[in-house]
Amino acid sequence: MTADDWLAALSAELRRRRIDPAGPVGEAAAHLRDGGQDPLEAFGPPAAYALAVVAGLRDATPRPRGPSGEPRLRATGITKRYGRRTVLNGVDLSVHAGEVVAMIGANGSGKSTMLRICAGLLSPDSGHVRLGGTVGYCPQNGGTSDFLTPDEHFVLVGAGRGVGRTEARARGRSMAAALDWADAPRAGQSRHLSGGTRQKLNLILGRLGDPDVLLLDEPYQGFDNGTYLDFWQQVWHWRDAGKAIVVVTHLLNELDRVDTVLDLTPGRAR
Amino acid sequence: MDRRTQWLRGVLDLCVLGALARGESYGYEIAQRLEAGGLGVIAGGTLYPALLRLERLGLVVADWRTGASGPARKYYRLSDDGAATLRSAGADWAVFVGNVNAIMEVP
Repeated sequence: MTADDWLAALSAELRRRRIDPAGPVGEAAAHLRDGGQDPLEAFGPPAAYALAVVAGLRDATPRPRGPSGEPRLRATGITKRYGRRTVLNGVDLSVHAGEVVAMIGANGSGKSTMLRICAGLLSPDSGHVRLGGTVGYCPQNGGTSDFLTPDEHFVLVGAGRGVGRTEARARGRSMAAALDWADAPRAGQSRHLSGGTRQKLNLILGRLGDPDVLLLDEPYQGFDNGTYLDFWQQVWHWRDAGKAIVVVTHLLNELDRVDTVLDLTPGRAR
Repeated sequence: MDRRTQWLRGVLDLCVLGALARGESYGYEIAQRLEAGGLGVIAGGTLYPALLRLERLGLVVADWRTGASGPARKYYRLSDDGAATLRSAGADWAVFVGNVNAIMEVP
């Protein structure tokens, strides 16, 4: 890897983490010129060095904030049975504007069921859900139509949410670009997309129309690591914009950054 | 990771402050001062994040300067807080080293 390649890769990694690359890249460039060393030897891989720069610049990880905005979603005493099996037993969940809730739990603990109930796609056996605002829902899979292009998806879903044709297309494309998918406008029918790219489309459709409440069911499946980071950056951005967000996840490394964790594993304190 | 690297990890920030107490400098030269001081090769990947942290904490101040020849460089110098930290933490370190030496001495 040449010094220029390494510096370009570092620049991309820093930008991905919303850090202005000019300073750190300029300094590393001067260092490499002075020392004439192999960049990998002096600094290590670009991604790892970018993380070290982030750690140097920031005071640990951003601290979770308490709920600040008004309540957007309040689910109380949600119980759901499939046959004899009780999947959810009196689950409560409330999400405020500007709050991110991570919903975790073992396989089969009812995470997707709970999210579908919150989205109004499924009725609970008892309990109720109150929503204060519009809702966007991103299912774990499905949600896209095989024979439509990404642009056609944007227009179709936009129409259902009162967004005009041109604007829906523009918003869809710009969200695609933010998820490292700039060539969405040139993509063909979605049946030809990879699983990860299809999931990006799915996530964008959940966001179209700028809903107040976002319900995301493991939306990053199949994302490469870079897109995964982009996704979480977007989540923090939406939170700052006052959205109420629920993310179903089994990945624990983001949990210290979310505001609230709801563990649906039976027997866990809620 | 060898033992030296582990030791250095705990005191690198103080060593950088110490190097800057000898006069303002830029990254590559700081690394050379540390190496000349017997601390071994300090990789850029270790040094610059430490400098960023010291800058964030206000213990060093930095500015970019273009020399008559060569590229723009970021120069660092000790702030008043940095000098105070170096004095107090340096004294703590001396006590700590004394205690370590004492306990490792075979009776």
